[in-house]
Amino acid sequence: MSEKKVAVYICKGCDIGKSINVDAIQEAIDEDYDEIEADIWQTHDCLCADEGIELIKKDIGEGANALVVAACSSRFKTTDFLFDGCFTDRVNLREHVVWSHEAGHEDTQMLANDYVAMGIARVGKAEIPEPFSEEINKTILVVGGGHSGMTAALETAKAGYEVVLVEKEDKLGGWRGKFSRVFPTSSPYRELLEPDVNERIEELQGNDKVTIHTSASIEKIAGQPGQFDVTLKTNGSTENFRVGAIIQATGWQPYDANKLGHLGYGKFKNVITNVELEEQFTQGKVTRPSDGKPAKRIAFIQCAGSRDEEHLPYCSAVCCRATLKHSIRIRELDGEAQAFVLYKDIRTPGQFEGFYLRAQEDPGIFFMKGEVEKVEDAGGDNLTVEMTDTLIDEHVKVEADLVVLATGMVPNSADGETIRKYTDSLGIIEKGEEGAQLEMAKTTSEELKSYEGTEILNLDYRQGPDFPVLKYNFPDSHFICFPYETRRTGIYAAGCMRAPNDTDACREDATGAALKAIQCLELAEKGYAVHPRWGDQSWPEFAMQRCTQCKRCTEECPFGTLNEDAKGTPLENPLRCRRCGICLGACPERIVSFKDYAVNIISAMIKAVHVPDEDEEKPRMLGLICENDAYPALDLAGMKRIQHSAFIRFIPVRCLGSVNVVWIADALSKGYDGILLVGCKSGDDYQCHYIRGSELMGTRGENIQEKLKQLALEEERVRVEEISITDGEKLVQIINEFAEQIEEVGMNPFKGF
Amino acid sequence: MPEPTLLKPDQKFINRIIKSGGGNIKKCFQCATCSVVCELSPDRRPFPRKEMIWAQWGLQDRLLADPDVWLCHQCNDCSTHCPRGAKPSEVLAALRRESIIHHSVPRFLGKWMNDPRYVPLMLLIPTVLLGLALLLKDPIESVLGFSKQTGERIVFSYSSMFPHWLLISFFLFFSLLVLLAIIAGVMRFWRAMKAADARSGMTGPAKGLRASIIAALKNIITHDKFATCSTERPRFLSHFLVFYGFIALFVVSIWAMTAKYNPLIYSSFAYPFSFWSPWRILANVAGIAVVIGCLLMIIERLNENKKAGAGSYFDWAFIGILLCVVLSGFVTEILHYGRVEPHRHIVYFVHLVFVFALLIYLPYSKFAHMIYRTTAMVYAEYSGRDAEAPTAAAGKKQEGEKEEKNKAEESKE
Repeated sequence: MSEKKVAVYICKGCDIGKSINVDAIQEAIDEDYDEIEADIWQTHDCLCADEGIELIKKDIGEGANALVVAACSSRFKTTDFLFDGCFTDRVNLREHVVWSHEAGHEDTQMLANDYVAMGIARVGKAEIPEPFSEEINKTILVVGGGHSGMTAALETAKAGYEVVLVEKEDKLGGWRGKFSRVFPTSSPYRELLEPDVNERIEELQGNDKVTIHTSASIEKIAGQPGQFDVTLKTNGSTENFRVGAIIQATGWQPYDANKLGHLGYGKFKNVITNVELEEQFTQGKVTRPSDGKPAKRIAFIQCAGSRDEEHLPYCSAVCCRATLKHSIRIRELDGEAQAFVLYKDIRTPGQFEGFYLRAQEDPGIFFMKGEVEKVEDAGGDNLTVEMTDTLIDEHVKVEADLVVLATGMVPNSADGETIRKYTDSLGIIEKGEEGAQLEMAKTTSEELKSYEGTEILNLDYRQGPDFPVLKYNFPDSHFICFPYETRRTGIYAAGCMRAPNDTDACREDATGAALKAIQCLELAEKGYAVHPRWGDQSWPEFAMQRCTQCKRCTEECPFGTLNEDAKGTPLENPLRCRRCGICLGACPERIVSFKDYAVNIISAMIKAVHVPDEDEEKPRMLGLICENDAYPALDLAGMKRIQHSAFIRFIPVRCLGSVNVVWIADALSKGYDGILLVGCKSGDDYQCHYIRGSELMGTRGENIQEKLKQLALEEERVRVEEISITDGEKLVQIINEFAEQIEEVGMNPFKGF
Repeated sequence: MPEPTLLKPDQKFINRIIKSGGGNIKKCFQCATCSVVCELSPDRRPFPRKEMIWAQWGLQDRLLADPDVWLCHQCNDCSTHCPRGAKPSEVLAALRRESIIHHSVPRFLGKWMNDPRYVPLMLLIPTVLLGLALLLKDPIESVLGFSKQTGERIVFSYSSMFPHWLLISFFLFFSLLVLLAIIAGVMRFWRAMKAADARSGMTGPAKGLRASIIAALKNIITHDKFATCSTERPRFLSHFLVFYGFIALFVVSIWAMTAKYNPLIYSSFAYPFSFWSPWRILANVAGIAVVIGCLLMIIERLNENKKAGAGSYFDWAFIGILLCVVLSGFVTEILHYGRVEPHRHIVYFVHLVFVFALLIYLPYSKFAHMIYRTTAMVYAEYSGRDAEAPTAAAGKKQEGEKEEKNKAEESKE
């Protein structure tokens, strides 16, 4: 970037001009702020109007290239103030100053002065990012040839992309290929359909953009989005090729019924699972395994092991409809047969109510709500199922020839992080370490033995061979905010492996994941970030000569971006990066920086603030707030004209996890009296846009407390909070409480040094 | 924990319920809206939800021994509010029909009554029996030495055709048979209800049999339960008219038939009645009431069939025969005053056939609801079905009653 020419534009519209003295800002900055200078100062009544934009463009024509636009929140008119070849900082005078503070008050004016000064400081340091651009392969790898995988492959091919479809079995189709009938898929959702798997397989085989590998498994995937190098093993031979993005649709398996002894599985021959019943349907009749006689009275036990803390705590979403399907099929095959559905709740979402009605209306299908107590022998290979808590307020039992357990779905996922833990412990044992470390490794390897060989993608990632799983082993993302995303950029989960789904939802999932994969490739090609910093062109740069190989960045990156060499030096994979800046926050040596977001840029902003002397009795607080939730929440509070303390200055950060502890030290030595850190919600049902940012801040908090102790300061001066985007009022409450707390604690003794 | 009850669905029973009006039974998803909106349902073990589940499961034994089926007056509040369109009121009506057929003695007559194919046979039986009585009238008379009635007054009466001794003995004989059938049916039903209650652990009677009967009769006389209906309010009026009209006609008929042997009869109450005799006026008014009541019922069924249900053959047969009885009676009366010969005698015979049919089929037709509903209501009182742990509302009601009583006493003073 050529020499910087800083131009400041202050808008007077939307009450700004009425509330503060816009012209006084320049005077104040010239007088009271050291090292804060701008070349051009302009004010305008309505900066976003054509006239205002023209004003800026004219200055740009005359060389202005570092723009400070002090107007509304950057969440409004976002693209209006972006100009080629210029770096723009948006100073939020509207929501964060005039709409949330007393008009004409001296503190409000000081706040505006500070924010403009911080803006000038930022544009003075920041540079225009240049995208990381490399050659990209646009083939998409689909892992799993079931309903979801086939749909994903077809949709991707239809969108014009090359697809490689990998299936571990010898033919495509998955579970759906093994079912004799499937749920209805269109209104009125009543009658069973024959599966259309063969047409789909033919369609795939006939599509020249699709390459199919059956009886295949993945030996290794190395690289990054756009440059994944895949090693595939098929019938003993290996094959190498490159793909750009990956869709994992490895499906599900039924819950292990051997664990359901209390329902008679394994104990009685005539207790089978719904999957075993499906196998019987393919032969066109339902018989009793004990004697091969036709089953006339068939009892279905719903939620067999599902919604049960000891087995599967969740609902698998489809077992109810599967049982409706089975009972209808039983009646179709044998008009004399009776089906008893023993359930806790019947869950038939949306239009599938019609399917439920269809089954209900059949006089030979009986529904009974209650808790199944036990399955017992009734002689002659017959069974009785006992139920309590029924709707007729009685302890009842039904006699059946055949009992079918409606078992739930377990995802075919691999827990990458745990597998890594396991291999690490094996590594320690192999190395021949001694003492406590060896003991620990031994216990870990024993405990995690079941994870051996469970890899699916075999990713060459430092954080493990598969992506991390979340609740109940589903690698689900926060679906509202991050549909189909996983914690590995360029790899997307679809179908029953992502969450328990019916075939309709699988189709939707697969299409969504295909779209995500395509988006990723198109963005990667340009060197842009994917969601949630969509289109961001910055990427982390490592000043490697200062690296101490502490591995913090490689361990803390929520997306497994960084690999390590043998010594522990981070190996960059910019295309895996989501630009959250957690590595920047993690690095004690401060070697990580983005062109427009770096330790020195934020430090400069912190230091730009004018901190009044102790005797002025005007404390100053720093607020480092997450740009994803906290910042918009504060905007929202401003829009509602909710007032907050005028003594706090906010700096948006990419993620709370990107806060480097040095900023806190900087703030304290500058004379700030308190620091408030606000991130989004952490935890398993996370809303944190970078999954671990808030959580990491929590642990780093310990280091901060340490720092405070070193400086002989009160712990109360630093506070970490988590809020969600709708919590505007709560955030204001937190701010004001914190301000009161700081007033109680008193002024920072380092003020004025 | 008591031994669990074995649920053994009776598929044939379910199919019967579905065929005879309860076609929507399987739609019920057991939400209990019906029991909540029902004004008659008691707090403990409320109906009709449990009946809906039992019926879905084809639990014939329970349903046929269930007094609650009969506590329902089919006001249709449940069917109106049912979110699934399962029409509980229709199902209960079908169950009542099953109950009548099941408890009737002999049972085949109940089955015949519920099957339109048997209409000719069902009409033929009373015709033949009455015809036989007429044919045998003279021989019996001569054997017993009764003298033929003569004289002006007698000619205009029908005694010449059907002497009172014959009428009384004929009807008395069959009434006794019917009474036996009723007693047998009631006993079957009562025992079944008791056995079911014993199974579910209910303890001894809540009140004496006499008190129970009095309470039930009071209910029937005042039509209290009918009055709580909101959806089918008109049903209160139509049933009230038919009920009291029929009772009045019944009393007048007994009076007339027993005139000769009744020491109470004198002057204007003497038989045969003159046109302005209070008896005849009562009979005419009552007849009109029954006709109006029946017409109202028909109109309701036709117009409101979505709410009330169009009813089945069983229901229509009963309304039909009742109308036939009353209308043929009126025709006879008109022809009688017009002295239209010999038609009036023929119509009279037809009238007698209908009356006789109504009588002998009482335990098997919908008419039997009178018996079984009364039995169920008595049993409900007897077993304390209705008077379980007083709810807040009931408590208030009692308080209210107390206050009223106090007020009344105060005003007396």
